[in-house]
Amino acid sequence: MRRTAAELALGVRLAFAGGRTGWIRTALTAAGVAVGAVALLLGASVPALLDARQDRALARADSTGAIEVPAGDTLLVAAVESQWGANAVRGRLIWPESTRAPLPPGVPAFPGEHRMYASPALQQALRGPDGDVLRKQMPYEVIGTIGPEGLSGPHEFAYYAGYQRVEKLVREGSWRVDHFGYTIPGDVESGTGTYVVVAAMLATLLLPIAIFIGAALRFGSDTRERRLAAIRLVGADRRAVLRIALGESLVPAVLGLTGGTALYLLARSRAADVQLFNVSVYPADIRPVPVLAVLVVLIVLALSAGMALLGFRGVAVEPLGVLRRSTVWRGRLWWRLLPLAAGLALLYPVVLPGEVGEDRTGAGVVLLLVALIPLLPYLVPVVARALTGGPVSWQLAAQQLRQNPVSSTRAVTGIVVAVTGAIALHTFFGAATVRRATPDDPADPGYMLQTAAYQAPAAMRARTALFEQVPGVRAGTVARYPLYSTSGTTHLPGYLVVGDCAALSQIATLDRCADGDAFTSGEVPAAVTLLDDSGDEPAPGDRLPVPRNLRHATLIGSDAEYASESILLTSGAMPAALSGVDPWFVETRMFATGDAPATVAGELRGVAAAIDPLAMFTAFAPEHDKYATLRTALDIGSTIILLMMGTGLLLDVAARLHDRRRLLGVLTAVGARRSTVIWSVLLQAVVPVLAGLLLAVGAGVALGAVLMRMSQVPILFDAPTVLTPVAAGLVLVLATTVAVLLPAARRVTRTEELRYE
Amino acid sequence: MSALIAAEGLHKAYGPTVALGGADLIVHAGEIVSVMGPSGSGKSTLLHCAAGLTVPDAGRVAYAGRELSRMSDVERSALRRREFGFVFQFGQLVPELTALQNVALPLRLDGVSRRTAERRATGWLDRLGLADKARARPGELSGGQQQRVAVARALVADPKVIFTDEPTGALDSIAGERVMEMLTSAARETGAAVVLVTHDARVAAYADRSIVVRDGRSSERAGVR
Amino acid sequence: MTIATAFLALLEERPQHGYDLKRAYDQHFGLDRPLHYGQVYTTLAKLLRNGLVSVDGVEGAGGPDRKRYTITDAGVTDIQRWLDEPEKPDQYLQSTLYAKVVGALLTGRSAAAVLDVQREEHLVAMRELTRRKQGGDLADRIICDRALFHLDADLRWLEHTATLLDELAAELRGTKE
Repeated sequence: MRRTAAELALGVRLAFAGGRTGWIRTALTAAGVAVGAVALLLGASVPALLDARQDRALARADSTGAIEVPAGDTLLVAAVESQWGANAVRGRLIWPESTRAPLPPGVPAFPGEHRMYASPALQQALRGPDGDVLRKQMPYEVIGTIGPEGLSGPHEFAYYAGYQRVEKLVREGSWRVDHFGYTIPGDVESGTGTYVVVAAMLATLLLPIAIFIGAALRFGSDTRERRLAAIRLVGADRRAVLRIALGESLVPAVLGLTGGTALYLLARSRAADVQLFNVSVYPADIRPVPVLAVLVVLIVLALSAGMALLGFRGVAVEPLGVLRRSTVWRGRLWWRLLPLAAGLALLYPVVLPGEVGEDRTGAGVVLLLVALIPLLPYLVPVVARALTGGPVSWQLAAQQLRQNPVSSTRAVTGIVVAVTGAIALHTFFGAATVRRATPDDPADPGYMLQTAAYQAPAAMRARTALFEQVPGVRAGTVARYPLYSTSGTTHLPGYLVVGDCAALSQIATLDRCADGDAFTSGEVPAAVTLLDDSGDEPAPGDRLPVPRNLRHATLIGSDAEYASESILLTSGAMPAALSGVDPWFVETRMFATGDAPATVAGELRGVAAAIDPLAMFTAFAPEHDKYATLRTALDIGSTIILLMMGTGLLLDVAARLHDRRRLLGVLTAVGARRSTVIWSVLLQAVVPVLAGLLLAVGAGVALGAVLMRMSQVPILFDAPTVLTPVAAGLVLVLATTVAVLLPAARRVTRTEELRYE
Repeated sequence: MSALIAAEGLHKAYGPTVALGGADLIVHAGEIVSVMGPSGSGKSTLLHCAAGLTVPDAGRVAYAGRELSRMSDVERSALRRREFGFVFQFGQLVPELTALQNVALPLRLDGVSRRTAERRATGWLDRLGLADKARARPGELSGGQQQRVAVARALVADPKVIFTDEPTGALDSIAGERVMEMLTSAARETGAAVVLVTHDARVAAYADRSIVVRDGRSSERAGVR
Repeated sequence: MTIATAFLALLEERPQHGYDLKRAYDQHFGLDRPLHYGQVYTTLAKLLRNGLVSVDGVEGAGGPDRKRYTITDAGVTDIQRWLDEPEKPDQYLQSTLYAKVVGALLTGRSAAAVLDVQREEHLVAMRELTRRKQGGDLADRIICDRALFHLDADLRWLEHTATLLDELAAELRGTKE
């Protein structure tokens, strides 16, 4: 209809022609909308992104499950899962059994012996610093690049190497595949959980954005409302005024949407440079699901329109002027407690022993964050009432806070929520890092290599020496044989462990040790029975005599916990019969001392790969801080949110000063000192923040504890992690308030402000 | 001749302050009526009630036989667009819009095409001697020019009544006279009635007759002479 | 305003002796020109002759001052006519109008009505001047403006007075006691 169109167009024109204030308002609102749009568009891309990743992962899946594929036009595959710094390395040693054997996706031809196709990221790392260390893990000649269709993302470290020996290792590390793209029922990860998490994250993110947009829209709202009143006089009805306001909000919405889309495209084009949790994505994978994209546009428009309309709540724009329904603020507590109660109800299983449902807890955490919002306006007048008396400036501020806590706390709410979230997540990551930074037991090795074949004592010593060539590394190699237990009641196996004195002393505390000595951690048997686990059921295997002169030793580290009575033999005490028996495995335990280089993990992996690329290498010590990237992301995110909130607060303080400039002018005119006036405004801004931050610390610590409990991380807090976000929030508020206040105070407290229009 | 606007027995109080205590106002088509009285007498409230901008606590206001208080906001807004014009002391122009857009605003709000609306608006600006100011925004105009823009806007929709409240209150006397002359002569030509609230007798002298509001009551001694 | 009218107004309030009339006149209407005794008796004689007042009694003997005068119906009508008739707007209006207001208040009539009547008279004059001005050349405008500004000043005084009427009435009642 022409009228509606004219009204919307009028609103659009007003948005463009608002002078400086109008531009600031439009620009800030657009910025808020843009951030929201980017977040939503990225969120809308998550399903497609995960699908694309999953599709490629499925297409190259070579795990046949329990099914054994008969030889034919088959490819022999052995998996080398390794790690380089923060990157998981997916290695495959392959050898075709026929020319018609299936080619892995992204690989143009079968690589010859000791040649490989490598992913671009791996090739880059091989060329980069410490590339020679990495090369030891994959000492093959690069003859080509794996195409994107064979990679989960541009940053994946992957290679397919020709390795003829896999022919001999079938069922002992290698297996046959007749095609790629096996699907194992139940192995496909269900996407719904991810979507729920993404949706929850977006909801939490949209909240501060909505608050920000609201603050931006309120900027200069009094002149805007007067202008709408003028339009009302010449014949706009109430709905027309709302339509005009909608048209006006359309401008920042469209600008923001355009800017957001541009930012999204930029982020998308840079997506190949970014990786989180070993997940890297191709730009082509980032595309919003069409339905969701439409939804994003609608949500963004609705968000800005909704905030615009919400600004008219309690405001009646009449032809003669703007009426504000100044309802007396009744701080009813009970409904403010409802979200809190609901959140606590959802979270209460956390304090009980046992498993905790993640979905339920997640919802509870979000709800608890949201519960802060209505609580803050209640808390502020309570504080203001509690602190009666004091100087005039405080009395003025307290009066204002008591009468209108909602407007005083509006901008602060966002900061409080952001700080709470930051405290919760930071403390959680802190605790999680503490737990993961060390192996389960300080006596345990940082790394361990396990190989299957029997090694003569000399070979074991040689292996130890190989690893000890890496600076700062101590190692010890032992052969382990599980013992057959007649009692059968104990779940913990005992072991027969063979190694030199140095290696044995890493497993148990020995009083003294020389070659030929033998030890036991329990009773002294005459003989032991080895466990034969080649069959389906554990069976007794070879029976071996035990030297008479067993001395007692105490197992240390995890062995003390997870192994029952074990016999430790130095090589000299090894029964001759044992040399013909393959051990369960030969394990080399490695301890990195403080002198070890940063690349120690990589170096050790390289040594291990030289011994046997298919050998099992386990890192107990973290090779990198798993949460580092997430922490960075969190820091960036909370910085953006805090900045947005800070800007919102800036606008709010400026607007409030503007609204009350006459009153402040009167105060100055009747002789109040300027400092009194300034202090009253400052206190008015700071008290809600202090109250809010107090709430944030409480809620943040509680939420952090919940998250730690949920992830079974020991609950642990340290003051800096808790106080840093608090300090950041406080500094932000003080800085913005002072930044607005000091220049404005001079203007505001001039008595010339008393003159009319 | 039946009255265009018949306001009878109007009462209006703002809190404890009585603005109107039984005021009447009769306006016939095409006549210019001044409403005089000291400040605080309730004369502006009387105008607001007569124009349907304020709902009286008691009494009735009929425009062309229809009672304003029975109308919806939508209907009253339509009246403001089509039948009424307003010229107030200040604050009625939209600062973001040019003079031309301001004048065309009532027509645009009524769904008239932009072309037609701006053509008619240009005509009125020309008549009021503002042809060269069409693109100027209110902030770039003098007070007298702004009031003339307001007069042009009040007249653009061919209204039946123009309500003015101290239209020259913020102007010097020469500019004020100019505005009053243009307003009254244009109103007489188009046949629009004018309700002219003023405390200034020299402004009231542009009217055909005067009524006086004192303490919320209106009185009119002599009729039209 | 004539002395005769003033006397009628004073007599309408209550019958009085000549000497009292002079004192009341000097107080309310005399301003800086007190009335001469001779004027009092010539005026009263004229009023008697015209039948607007009558002598309602002579107390005791001696002295010309012992006659008490009362207003007649004709006199009351005369006052009413005087009050109803707006003054020609001119520069001496204020004193005349003031007399009328006081007269109205003294006689318990509506002073506001007096002012309203006068306002309307002024406005009629101003409307006429405004019309003439709109039709005339610059010289006409300037001439008309002079008159308009004077009339405007009168009217402002009227408005001002109107707001003070209650106070004035109270004051007059006070002097009567």
